[in-house]
Parts: sequence; structure tokens; C-alpha cells
Amino acid sequence: MKPISRRGFLKVTMTSGGALAVGFTLPGCSTFKTGFDEKEQSWTPNAWLQVDRQGAVQFTLDRVEMGQGTYTGLTTLAAEELDVDPETIDVVFAPVADPYKNPLYKLQITGGSTSMRSSWLQIREAGAGARALLVAAAARVWQVDPSNCMTRDGIVSDSNGQRSLSYGQLVELAAKEKLPDPLPLKDPADFRYIGHFKHRLDAHAKVTGTAVYGIDSELPDLTYASLLRPPMVGGKIGSVDDSAARAMSGVIDIVQTRHGVAVVAEKYWQAYKARQALKVSWNQEDAVLKSTADVFAEYAKAADKDAGSTKRDDGDYDEARQDADRQLEVTYEQPFLAHATMEPMNCTARLTEGGMEIWAPTQAPDLGRIAAARDTGLSPDDVTVHTTFIGGGFGRRLSQDYIGEAAAICWQVKRPVKLVWSREDDMQHDVYRPAMLHRLRATLKKGELTGWDHQITGPDLMDWYARDAAPAQYPWTPKFMWGALARIGILGEGLIAPVDTSAYEGAVEYPYAVPNVVVRHTKADAGIPVSYWRSVGHSHNAFAVETFMDEVAHALEKDPYEFRAHLLRKDPRRLAVLQKAADMAGWGKPLPKGHAQGIAVHRSFETYVAEVVEASIEFGEVKLHKVFCAVDCGRAVNPDIVRMQMESGIIFGLTAALYGEIDFKDGVVQQSNFQNYRMLRMDTAPRIEVAIIESEADPTGVGEPGVPPSLPALGNALFQLTGKRQRRLPFKLEV
Amino acid sequence: MSISFKVNGQVRSLDVDADTPLLWALRDELGLKGTKFGCGAGLCGACTVLFDGSPIRSCSTSLSQVEGHDITTIEGITPAEGLHPLQAAWSEHNVPQCGYCQSGQIMSALALLRENPSPSDDDIDAAMTGNICRCGTYPRIREAIKAAAEARKTSDASVSGGDGRAVS
Ligand code: FES
Ligand code: FES
Repeated sequence: MKPISRRGFLKVTMTSGGALAVGFTLPGCSTFKTGFDEKEQSWTPNAWLQVDRQGAVQFTLDRVEMGQGTYTGLTTLAAEELDVDPETIDVVFAPVADPYKNPLYKLQITGGSTSMRSSWLQIREAGAGARALLVAAAARVWQVDPSNCMTRDGIVSDSNGQRSLSYGQLVELAAKEKLPDPLPLKDPADFRYIGHFKHRLDAHAKVTGTAVYGIDSELPDLTYASLLRPPMVGGKIGSVDDSAARAMSGVIDIVQTRHGVAVVAEKYWQAYKARQALKVSWNQEDAVLKSTADVFAEYAKAADKDAGSTKRDDGDYDEARQDADRQLEVTYEQPFLAHATMEPMNCTARLTEGGMEIWAPTQAPDLGRIAAARDTGLSPDDVTVHTTFIGGGFGRRLSQDYIGEAAAICWQVKRPVKLVWSREDDMQHDVYRPAMLHRLRATLKKGELTGWDHQITGPDLMDWYARDAAPAQYPWTPKFMWGALARIGILGEGLIAPVDTSAYEGAVEYPYAVPNVVVRHTKADAGIPVSYWRSVGHSHNAFAVETFMDEVAHALEKDPYEFRAHLLRKDPRRLAVLQKAADMAGWGKPLPKGHAQGIAVHRSFETYVAEVVEASIEFGEVKLHKVFCAVDCGRAVNPDIVRMQMESGIIFGLTAALYGEIDFKDGVVQQSNFQNYRMLRMDTAPRIEVAIIESEADPTGVGEPGVPPSLPALGNALFQLTGKRQRRLPFKLEV
Repeated sequence: MSISFKVNGQVRSLDVDADTPLLWALRDELGLKGTKFGCGAGLCGACTVLFDGSPIRSCSTSLSQVEGHDITTIEGITPAEGLHPLQAAWSEHNVPQCGYCQSGQIMSALALLRENPSPSDDDIDAAMTGNICRCGTYPRIREAIKAAAEARKTSDASVSGGDGRAVS
């Protein structure tokens, strides 16, 4: 056991209800750049583990459950060290308050696959600390040395098993004990739950339909709202004729907010129907009336004019170019993408004495307070945000637009109100994964890849996100300064916001042993709202890198797997997943007639994933047969959740590869619902096999890393099948 | 005008606009929130319930259409104690992720198994293709359906659902 002296990170108290509470901090992580002072937060506990007099264990969770298994994973860590069954721990979603901030972002945010990565050690320590106190208390009662005591399932017993006391009996005494230093963390060989616990703690609620999502929020006297927004990006309300709508059954009020025209009615259906009867003309003065082709033309122009800021420059690419026998040059285009979470955006709000209460499926309740404050006369401190189960996040619920809308409506009608977006609203008023343009060049000499130049053209996400986030980081500033703060957020890189790597992450870490490597970002922002989308920059950069690697391999007449493996000789973890996926797939072995395989490997959120996709073409359509996936995410806390997340990421990525495209025409989104923004379904989804590489390393994220390699792996398979390279997403077969 | 129909074995009468989709009546009038809204257009299956034993999309079925009929929701198949065999199979295979689509998935699977106690992969494809899962739980749903079918074969006892019919 590695001795660690970290007890200063735990705070022990008795709650007013007589429970032993171990509070702990989730401090910053050195691998993640943040612009704030770490010292400043070091003495405020920001999460709690409690044992009450009945021995019941409560874990206050400062993350939000969205399907990625956080709920189970973090609870398992606490249970392991405390020596109780994870099933018996009661998990409480933290209300928004300062003690519950995500250490990496400082705000209360679940995103970036950070939950397990940042909390691994801290939560285990809290469990170990609480256990040590309980053991010390028992030892004092029995007048024995603590080392002669054992714990199991909430009971402390002495070494000969003669005497035992339950945690509940020991709580009061334990609070008077001192934490040992170092904290006795379990030896991984003794883990009973970490790496072994198979079940998701939330499964029961989710198979019986009793899990309460945001859309299920219920309040006395509740009304329902449906909001008509400007159809074009940046449009504003011109004139409104709501006379017909007002006369319809159940309509309570129709109000205008800065977001659009809201119908409030007794029932959702009445609100939705009356909304169709609104006659609104839109003011297009500030509208962004672009079509998708205009966006790409702008990007191309920007890329021609501006070589971009250099993010990496190894060796001398120009020299490699002069020296080359051959050069390759390609352009890849990737579209805007919607999140299409299964639960549409929604928010329930009610006025309270001097404030507002909000129920919302949000990934960032802190920002939800800001959003509500911005659209009302309230300050963030007057707003309480209750989080709920979330029917899919994928980054969409880091943006709080729907909370601002509901707050604005509630503020005007002064009744409890639930705003529910239609699916059409959700698809047409998303904050999108940005369209991106990639230009890549390679130099080849004597059968080797000698130079790599990757120019990425597209927006910075932080420019959009800072508008929401900046005031949250300086909560004492008056509201009129928020606009200015957002601009500082943009200008003062690293001052407020973490450095924005979203455009080039996954490209700048180009892993192959090539002597001359240049990675550049040309910033171009089309004015269309964009945001984080599952795996963020990796979602487009992995496609660019791994598709071009395939093109280079073919140009050099090398096997795409061997070619990669050779250039990854010095990157053992990446090489191991690549080899494993190839082995699983029987790479190079004969396949059923008409089938082909494509391979890709990518690291994101510190997790390595390689995938082989096997596909064929049937009746003019791509048929996905099988995906072989190897993942190295450090120690797998709950292996089945790792597998689930890989399956989920693969299907998410392949859905985008085959169908994902949000298309603008004169500023208006052309897709509206699942008939024209299609999803993989039971009959089209592939079979998936996942292998987890055994590892002792600290656990890393699994919610997103399954996505990035899937798109290039499929594209590479399609090249094998058709001889034609797919350079634009989504893939389209020639007819 | 009041509309009467049976929900999970009980007769209910509602006094709401007759064109209201069954989905909203179940959720907001009867408090049966296990049935979910996903697309409102019959495209995703999140709102699937049984109508006289057959799966329908409750978002696209108006109340006037269900008058006098028999509706079963996820609440109606959940036993007072424990889980329905299909729910147990779902839990056993760690199917749910965000979980939002799963009530609809389970209702579709239930209808499938009632018609066809040992479905092939193609049968599963055909019956489940109307249900989208954005979290991509399809491989596990397939396994859970097969496991439930298998369990049904090995135990002869048929299990009864809230609407009084054999359900798996
Ligand atoms: S909500 Fe009814 S099919 Fe989607
Ligand atoms: S579990 Fe999330 S949509 Fe199916």
C-alpha cells in the first residue's frame, strides 16, 4: 500500500440529525488546464459521505446522472472503502450550492468524461476515512488496537470475531476520533466491488418507469407552455397576432420573451395546439440567413487566407515537402450535428417568496441559475435548481437556454409552468456540433510517411459557451457586467475559461512517429450556435486523422493496420488496443463475400480505443455487421459499464457517420424529426464485441471515447468495399 | 364530454379535449409518467403502450380512439413486489442507460413475446425497429428479449400482467 498523507483533505463533522459526515474536496487535476487558483478552494468540502445512527449510508453526489453510469461508478468507490454493499447506499443528487462544484471546471458541471477521472482517489479516501473513524471508535470500546478490527457490510468486529458493533452504533463515538495519517486505502487485490460490481443501481427505477426525469416534474397548480421561436438563426419577433390562439380552449396567457412567443395553457396539448394558431412575422435584421454551402464556402475562404494559429510544429514540414517523392492533399467536410437526446428539452419553474425554484434535466445547474437570473429580475442567489434524471445529455444540457426560457415565462405569468420542447423544437433550435473543414497534406518519401500537415477550420466553442459561463465564475458582479465578462472570457484566454482546445483536440496529439508534423487551427465562426457534442473536437478530428492515415497507407500500398502499428511502436497503450481490436476482428483473414473491414484508433479523455468495423452493401445501403472494440481506460471500476459505454458510443458515432446532418437553408434548419434526422435502430445497429485491456492505471473517462474511432473505421471499410474514399460526412453511396 | 377507457385494468373517465393524445392524458391526467414523450409523431416508440394487447404509439392516438378500449402501460405490468420477467431480464442485462426510452422498449418487447414466444433475430428486428434508443442499448435489448424468452421456456408458469393476460 502506498502511504499517502492526505487526511487534510477530509473534514469530519456531526450533522444536526446526528449522522457522522465526512466532507471532502475534489481538488483540481494537473492534467487539465484551469485558470483559477487552486489554493482558494482547498478548505471547503464539496462532497459528503454520511452514516447515520441507524447505520444508513448516504452519499451526496455532485454529478448528474445522464446514462453514463456515474451514479453507479462513484457510489461503488465509496462503498468499497467503507465496506458496505453499494446497493445499500442512498444517493442524493446535490442541490446547487457552492459545496458541490466540479473540481476541473469549478462550476457544477457534468461533462468531459471527468467524473471518474477526477473523483477516483477523493471518494475512496472519504470512504476510507469514515471507515477508519468507525474502526477507531470500536477499538476504543474494546480496548484493542484498531489493527485488530475488521469491517464487513456495515459491521465492525474484532479479530477473533467475538464482538461486533454496527456502524450505526459507532457513529457518535466515531465523530470524536481522529483521522489516521496516512489514510488506509484498500489494496486493489482486496477489492470486493470495484471491478466486480456488475449492476447499475438505477436499473430498477428505469425498467419500471419510476425514474423521475425533468419532464416528469409535477407541481400543484401547474400550467404548460409551448414556445414558438424564430425559425431562422438570430431572428426576432416582428409582429404578433395571437387573437385566434387566445380564443382556444385552455389558453391562460400568451407572452413574449426575448426567445419567442409562449403559449401558456392548462394542458400541454392545448398550449401546443394554440401555438400552431399564432400568426407571427419575424424581424430578420440581425438574422444569419446562411445555407450550409455558404458556411463551407466561408470556411474555405478563411482557410485560404489564414494559415491559422500553429498548435504543433515538429521538425520542418517545408523541408519534408521539398524532399518528398510524392505528396497527398485532401479536404474533409463534416456537417452540423444535433444532439437529439431522447428526452426533449424541458424545464419546470415556479416563483417562491423572493425567488424562483427550477426543476430541470441539466448537466450544469450552476449555469442554470445564471440563465434563470438573466431572464428575470432575480439574482442567481435567489434561484434554486433541482436536478433530475436526464434522458440523455451528450453535451446538449451544458447549455441552459431552456431554463432561461422557462424562467422568463414563469416570471411573466406568475404561475408554476412546465415548458416542453417538441422534437421539432429540439432539432431546429439546438446548439450544434459545429460543421468543420479539414485540409490535410502529407509528404511521402521512399515508401515512408515523412510529413503531416493538418489545418482545421471552424469555430471555438468557448466563444459561445463563455456567454453563459462567464458570470457564473464571478457571481458577485452586477448583471449589467455580464456581457462584458463574456467578452473577457473570450479575450483573456485562460483567465476565466479553460484554454479552448475544442477545435483541435484529438488532432494536435497526432500520435504516429512521423518526424515533421504541423497542426493548425484557422478560426472561422459562421454565427450559428454551436456547443459541446459527445466527444467534442475528437468527434471530427479523429475522423480526419484516421481517414487520412488510411489514405496514406493505401497510397504507400501498405496494410492500414500494419502501417499504423509500425508508427505506434513507442506508444504501447495505443498499440495494445489497436492490436487487440485487430486480433478480435481476425484482421487480414478472409471475410464473408461482400464484407470488408476498416480500422481506426484514437485516444480521448485519456482513454484509448481502437475499433474495427465490418460492413457490406446490401440493396444500395450500408449494412453494419460487426464492430470489434478494444478499450484501455485504466482500471475498469465497473467493467460492464465500460462495455455499455463503448457500445453506446459506437452506435452514436455510426449513427452520425451514416445519417447525421443538420442542414441550413437561409438560416433555417431543414431537419425536423426522426424521419429526416435518422438514427440507427434495432435492425440497422451492428453487433458489438468489446474487450477491456487489464490495467492498474487510474481510471479514465468512458462516456465519450467510444465515439471518435467509429466514424473513420466505417469510412475506411467503405473504401475497401467501393474503392471510393468518403471525404464528406455523412457517408453517401453513389447511386 | 367525458371519455372512458380501461387503464391497467381499471376504468377511468376523463374530461379533456377529445383530440388530446393518449400520451398526455396518461401522463398529466392519470399521473402515469412511465410512458414517455420522445417525438410526438410516431417515429420513436418512447410512448408505446398496449391497446387491447397490441403495441401503439400513444402520442399519435387520440383519446377519442381509445374510448371503451383497454390500455396497458409500464405501470400496469410492474408487479407489486419485484419485477416482471421482462423487466428482470432488462435489469439483469444492464440494458438501461439514460433509461428514457426503456418503458417503450419493454412494452414493444412484451407485445412481441406474447405473439411469438421464441422470436428469431429477424423477428426482434421487425418488432423493435420502431423504438429508438439514442443511448444505443440495442444489443442488450436483443439479449434481454432472448433471455426472457428462454426463461419462459424453462419455466412453464405463465406470468400475468396488470391487464390480466399472460404476458410472457
Ligand atoms: S413519442 Fe410517440 S412515437 Fe415518439
Ligand atoms: S437508454 Fe437512453 S435513449 Fe434508450
